[in-house]
Amino acid sequence: MTMDMSRYLGLFISEATEHLEALGRDLVALEREATAATVDSMFRHAHSVKGMASSMGFESIAMLAHRVEDLVDAVRQDRKLLDRDLVDLLLSAADTLTAQVRAVAASREPDAAAPLLEQLSARVRTLTGHAPAATRVAQVTVLKPGDPPAAGAGDPGAPADAAGTPGVAAGAPTADAGGSAGSSAGGSGSDSRADRAAPGLQATSGVDGGPVSTALAVMPPASLMPPRDLSSPEALYGAPGARPRTDLPVEADPASSVAALGANLKVLASVDTDAPPSAPRWSVRLRISPTCQVPGVRAFLVHKRLSTLGTLVDLRPPLEELKAGRIPDGFIQVELDTNVGEAGIQTALRNVAEVEVVSVSQAVPEPPILAVTAQALDSARASADASSRTVRVRTELLDYFLDTVGELMLATARLREVGKVMPEVSRPALEEGVYRLHTLVKDLHDKVMSARMTPLSLITDRLPRAARDLARRKEREVELVITGAEIELDRAILDELADPLLHLLRNCIDHGLEAPEERLAAKKSVRGRVLVTVRRARDRVIIDIEDDGRGMDPAKLKASALKRGLITEEAAARMADRDAFLLSCLPGVSTAKDITDISGRGVGMDAVKRVVESVGGTLEIESERGRGTCFTLRLPLTVAVVHLLLVQVGEEVFGLPIAKVVGATEADPEALSRSRETALLPHGNGLLPVHLLEVLLGVPASPRPGFRPFVVMEGDAGTGKVALAVDRLLGQEEVVLKPLSRPLDLLPGLSGVTILGSGRPVFILDVPRLLTA
Amino acid sequence: MRHVIFRVEKERYGLPLSAVREVVVPPERYTRVPRAPSAITGVMNLRGRVVTVVELRQLLHLPEGPTPLCRVVLLDRGRRDLGLLVTDVDGIEAVERVSAAPGKVTPAVRGVARLGGLGVTVLDPEGLDAAVVALFTAPK
Amino acid sequence: MAKRVLVVDDAIFMRNMIKDIFASGGFEVVGEAANGLEAVEKFKELKPDLTTMDIVMPFKSGIEATREIIKADSSAVVIMCSALGQESLVMEAIEAGASDFIVKPFRAEDVLAVVKKVLGEA
Repeated sequence: MTMDMSRYLGLFISEATEHLEALGRDLVALEREATAATVDSMFRHAHSVKGMASSMGFESIAMLAHRVEDLVDAVRQDRKLLDRDLVDLLLSAADTLTAQVRAVAASREPDAAAPLLEQLSARVRTLTGHAPAATRVAQVTVLKPGDPPAAGAGDPGAPADAAGTPGVAAGAPTADAGGSAGSSAGGSGSDSRADRAAPGLQATSGVDGGPVSTALAVMPPASLMPPRDLSSPEALYGAPGARPRTDLPVEADPASSVAALGANLKVLASVDTDAPPSAPRWSVRLRISPTCQVPGVRAFLVHKRLSTLGTLVDLRPPLEELKAGRIPDGFIQVELDTNVGEAGIQTALRNVAEVEVVSVSQAVPEPPILAVTAQALDSARASADASSRTVRVRTELLDYFLDTVGELMLATARLREVGKVMPEVSRPALEEGVYRLHTLVKDLHDKVMSARMTPLSLITDRLPRAARDLARRKEREVELVITGAEIELDRAILDELADPLLHLLRNCIDHGLEAPEERLAAKKSVRGRVLVTVRRARDRVIIDIEDDGRGMDPAKLKASALKRGLITEEAAARMADRDAFLLSCLPGVSTAKDITDISGRGVGMDAVKRVVESVGGTLEIESERGRGTCFTLRLPLTVAVVHLLLVQVGEEVFGLPIAKVVGATEADPEALSRSRETALLPHGNGLLPVHLLEVLLGVPASPRPGFRPFVVMEGDAGTGKVALAVDRLLGQEEVVLKPLSRPLDLLPGLSGVTILGSGRPVFILDVPRLLTA
Repeated sequence: MRHVIFRVEKERYGLPLSAVREVVVPPERYTRVPRAPSAITGVMNLRGRVVTVVELRQLLHLPEGPTPLCRVVLLDRGRRDLGLLVTDVDGIEAVERVSAAPGKVTPAVRGVARLGGLGVTVLDPEGLDAAVVALFTAPK
Repeated sequence: MAKRVLVVDDAIFMRNMIKDIFASGGFEVVGEAANGLEAVEKFKELKPDLTTMDIVMPFKSGIEATREIIKADSSAVVIMCSALGQESLVMEAIEAGASDFIVKPFRAEDVLAVVKKVLGEA
């Protein structure tokens, strides 16, 4: 069914002319006074003309009106953008549009007005920072009465019909699927499921027998428990026949361990939400029709519909991605706790267009599902080539693997501890077993790690756009060259790096690069250059972010740090330039107004350094006055298994990164020389300031009388080497670093946490931050 | 909506069941968190996760009491591992009609409700999060 | 019995086009409105089975009008008429209670497919 548009031609001409006349009037009024009402009115006129012209298939008119709409919309956001030039441009656009409509009225092909379109597009780019969107125009046969066929306005004839078919085809099967599946499930099924959940609750409190009124019981502490997911296979995989997870047969087994009970309770607790008691979880897979023009909105509508049924527990892709229309192959996966049953779900989606319900099934709780793409399956089948046998795995699943392998490593360490107190005779066999386990787990860890590798382009792809925005704001010309972005890094490290890279780029453009006239005076090209170079060096990935700007002044940095009391005169005098550049990473050093040439370098630089170090990397800065600055990030390929020196202070144990430990020594604190308040420890040819760890950390200490151990640590540019007094050195350990979760990440001086073989959580200290914060 | 009901001393509090991951017995010893506010009891190892334990009494600025704190209510807050140290846990009850709390309003408190003729202070999970973060970010 | 439709758009051109599409699909267009204010009035007066709603209109936007219509009758079926680039506005309208949307420039078969689907006739 193709519409005959020619009968709307008369109406189009008269109404478009009206709108354009009004647009012209508004523009003139605007020159006198830019009121919000006028701008809104202009937007409506342009929008209407665009809509009508695109419906009629008048591409040149629609495009021109679209650009006018874009520009007016920009003005609507910020009326300060409106200047004389823009009004002139809009006026000439309105004139051209009027002429185009007249041409149509005279049965002529409207002028394409390409130069004007180009001008408008350029203006849109400057005002909004992005390229104008494409204008969609109906593919209609109609008009141009008297014109020779096939003139200009889109592909005539066939495409309209061809394009129409998929839309209809996509609609029909959806309805069928909805109808049949819905009727087979029936409404009562879901009710009985909900009912069955109740005995589960009863039984649970019966087993517990305590004063607890319903299902909530208490689990034994922490490390006595085996990992939850291993304690109860039912909890992992659900009972056979995909029964609801609240229906686990705990009461049937009198010998149920506390662990199983605990696991069941936890399941209950996590299932329950705002929905009525124990709503079963459903897994719904949908597909947005490939012909859908705005999949994001479509997906949002689906989300909205499903939300009304109960509680959405999981949504893939996540809502923000959905709204942005980033839906790989149109597939959406939803986990939903609801009592409406399959029929209810089908009903809710039945009257949403352009959506196909692929499957509705009761969900198996954990672990997350492996998503295998059809393409991957095909290629796996088709080819024996290992490189093409890929499977897409959700990142959460990778995190889960890594967590679990981490716990396996802990459990292995725990076994080794236990072995140490076993009788001599049984020890060798156990130790051999533990050794074998350790090797296997380590191998598994490596494999999981390699599965987590992701190309850096995931984050560097955002940089060109950011550079363009920054450059435009600073009215500078910048050329950004990124090489080596295909190199891979662990996803966890990659996630952390996105902000630091942006910070560094901003520093280069905002503060590194000079203004055009300054560059000309320095005989540099007007256009500044920022190079982002990624390379691999053995087990490290090195990222250089380099500008050809004015460079940093080490003397000024030193002076600023001195002024803030962050370094001593002596230290400043001895300090090498490359250390002086790192002063910019101390909070506050280079944000000062008096060192204008690097002002702003310090904004976020301390954060950059902290993040880089928290993932086990290092930051170096090289700079030459007048030539430019280069930031070098050396990063581990994978999240670190770190080597720690464990020390004890009072009752507490802390980890110091071996990489930063210079050495250890013993001394009598009473016998140390002092400079003012600070005790000094002889080290090499000099004296190091001594800090008592108990004082730094605010914990009670119980040093043995007499000699006390000191750990000599690498400081940063500001602090230099320091000696830390501790109660005891406990030895070295290789541990899996865990990032600090909220609120612990807010504390300065902690860089991570780990769990020792004994099950004890131990904090890893960031000594320079402890000293300065 | 169903709530987990627990006590600090004799005062009763509720949190939506959906916001509670589990309830555990406190560990024998905590790992102290250096430089943390005093409301932070410490961290504990819960099956490989490091959980920060906060004393609810201090978080809500309640007076100290004689009863030992016997339970940790673990919040289900995504990547935040947070546990509230309380006197004891009573169970799960349906709490309806939460009305505004009298007196000073704090983000951690959503309101009050009646339960079996007695008052329950209903807590707000996000508000609790915010209150904990505020402990760390407030100027000393 | 033919379903009764209210068409809301500030351009007569669009209204006519939409009316013709509905007529060709066997619907009865019982009323038109040229802005949001009028839309709410007409809706209350006519109680149509379905309302098509333009978003950008003078006096009162289509989103506001949808919100008020849904407030008056929570079961009202409102279909937003949008253009590419108005995604966020359409989502706002869906939040306000709109049942579905169609994208300009309209193709008769697409419009009818969506409408029939929404009314449960597909």
